[in-house]
Amino acid sequence: MNGTKYVIQKELDRVFKDKKLVFSLFLLPAVLMIGIYLLMGKLINIMVTDVQEHVPTIYVQNMPDGFNSYVEQLNFPGSVIYFYGENVLTRTDEGEKIISTEEIKENIRSGRIDLLVVFEEDFLNQVENYEEGSIIPEIRTYYNPAEDYSEEARNKFMELVINKYKTYLLAKRIGDLNQIMVFDVDRDPAASYVMDETRANAKTLSMMLPYLVIMLLFTGPMNLGIDAITGEKERGTLASMLITPMQRGQLVLGKLLALSILSCLSAVVYSVSIIVGLPDVQKVSAVGNGTVRIEPVQMVWLFIVMVVLVYLYVTIVGLIAVLSKSSKEAGSYISPVYIIVILSGIMTMFAGDFTVDIGMFGIPVYGSAIAIQKITTNELTLAQFGVNVISTVCISAILTIFIIKAFNSEKVMFNV
Amino acid sequence: MIEIENFTKVYKLSKKQRLELKTRNHIRKAVDGVSLLIPKGEIFGLLGPNGAGKTTTLRCISTLLKPTQGSIRVCGHDTIKHPEKVRKKIGFLTNEIRMDPDFSAKYMFEFFGHLHGLNDEVIGERRKKLFSYFEIEEFQNKKIEQLSTGMKQKISIAVSLVHDPEVIIFDEPTNGLDIVTARSVTNYLQLLKEEGKLVLISTHIMSEAERLCDRVAIIVNGKKVIDGSLEYIMDTTGTRNLEDAFFNLYLQYTERGKV
Repeated sequence: MNGTKYVIQKELDRVFKDKKLVFSLFLLPAVLMIGIYLLMGKLINIMVTDVQEHVPTIYVQNMPDGFNSYVEQLNFPGSVIYFYGENVLTRTDEGEKIISTEEIKENIRSGRIDLLVVFEEDFLNQVENYEEGSIIPEIRTYYNPAEDYSEEARNKFMELVINKYKTYLLAKRIGDLNQIMVFDVDRDPAASYVMDETRANAKTLSMMLPYLVIMLLFTGPMNLGIDAITGEKERGTLASMLITPMQRGQLVLGKLLALSILSCLSAVVYSVSIIVGLPDVQKVSAVGNGTVRIEPVQMVWLFIVMVVLVYLYVTIVGLIAVLSKSSKEAGSYISPVYIIVILSGIMTMFAGDFTVDIGMFGIPVYGSAIAIQKITTNELTLAQFGVNVISTVCISAILTIFIIKAFNSEKVMFNV
Repeated sequence: MIEIENFTKVYKLSKKQRLELKTRNHIRKAVDGVSLLIPKGEIFGLLGPNGAGKTTTLRCISTLLKPTQGSIRVCGHDTIKHPEKVRKKIGFLTNEIRMDPDFSAKYMFEFFGHLHGLNDEVIGERRKKLFSYFEIEEFQNKKIEQLSTGMKQKISIAVSLVHDPEVIIFDEPTNGLDIVTARSVTNYLQLLKEEGKLVLISTHIMSEAERLCDRVAIIVNGKKVIDGSLEYIMDTTGTRNLEDAFFNLYLQYTERGKV
């Protein structure tokens, strides 16, 4: 195995003695990833806060008597303009102007006005003089669901004004509301939460982490594997090692193990970047209190699952690389494989909480993705872990044997 | 010693290759029934035009390729049954085999020394001797990609000799070298012969073959048309130099359709 040792050493030296390569493979991706996630977190925060803090502009047509006083009492956070008829005098950028109801709707479409609330004419009279069987009056709202401000304005106005106004009018009509309410549901909503804190906190992480890990672990072998094998074949430097006494199997193992080490290092860099950058994104969508704890045993299993997955990726890329006649050809074959890898990760994002059959953990790549998902909620069992690791290792071993056979084939190595 | 017995190498042609070669044959015989016996302590030349089968023959001796028929033995070891043992005995150099450009000459020399099972002390001694002889010391720490063609060739030669092999197989050893360096390489090959090594070279430069080789074999269209000492070949062809002898045989064997 001495040959393997020297080949590993050479492959590692190739990367670590080249400052530009170290920068582009390890440092730049980390900086970019942390930067992107921090920016995403900031932008999401800004977007959510912006909508929440926006002061909506609401036009109310045909308001019933006393409605404006009622709204003032509620301290509704918005600019409410009341009018009767079809037109209203309003302030615009060009000064005061009379605009029609149609123009108000046009402004809602363009995002300049957030909401139009239209009471039926004689609304209060209809409410007060209601008789059993007669048609009740309607309040129409006009808003733009494609505009965040408009949708938020309608939701707020409905919740803070209209629903309360309805309750107020109902109390005036009936007196004791409990006569029609009959019973309450969840007077204290927070007391109704019966959730696994770990699962709740890990909800976002369990959706995103498998996809990120599965995808990111592939980038190392993809970036390095083609040049390490196909590139060397093209340059003639691989042949120089084939005429040494070293067995082909030793050469193959040396290449694959070196690629695995470099890919694992690359994965560690990406993982640290995610840990640093992701919390800002997760804060916005956290269900629980945002703290994620993974048990020590599950952490060890996560490490093992990732390491064997890296070696599987290395053997897949290695086999494609050795069978390809050129680096360009290898790249074109690896691209669809990368897409399949990404899809395997994406599928776990929409898997939901359904029970996973133990056999699924044996599916290459996808099995590792669901294993990682289960680890984030501390739910991976020993059996599931075993099936995934054994399956991945067996497939990797078979691919390694194929690669060694390819290295022994003069047709593959010399295109003869 | 190199023993080649009835060695034939056949390649299967793909559809694309058949179209390129304008042939309907599904196979191509690169080498056809070549037999040679090359003892130690001799410089043996393999001569022939482009595509004759010289490089294929050298690659098969070095175990990069496998004979389709016949056998090749190097120092008593069969190239198919014991390829690792053959590789321990040989130093092989050809244009298609290159040194990794990302590393220095010193690094590559040590790397291949380790792959041949040498320890650091032996590698150090061999490096001093070979780098000094081929004047590599001044640029031994520069990356190979920064060096000229001639420097790269010298490094390749030195690296191929790191393990002091018994059999040296060089395909166009002075290719890309200036006249002074080319002479130092050929002088070194003479030294190796005097040490009792077997040196097998392939070359297009007839004057070099004439000056260097004890015996030669001429291959045309995959077949050996003659082998022997230079005197024997010139007597047989009625010529005064190897170049004329070569052309005489080439025309003879291609015109009369003997190959």
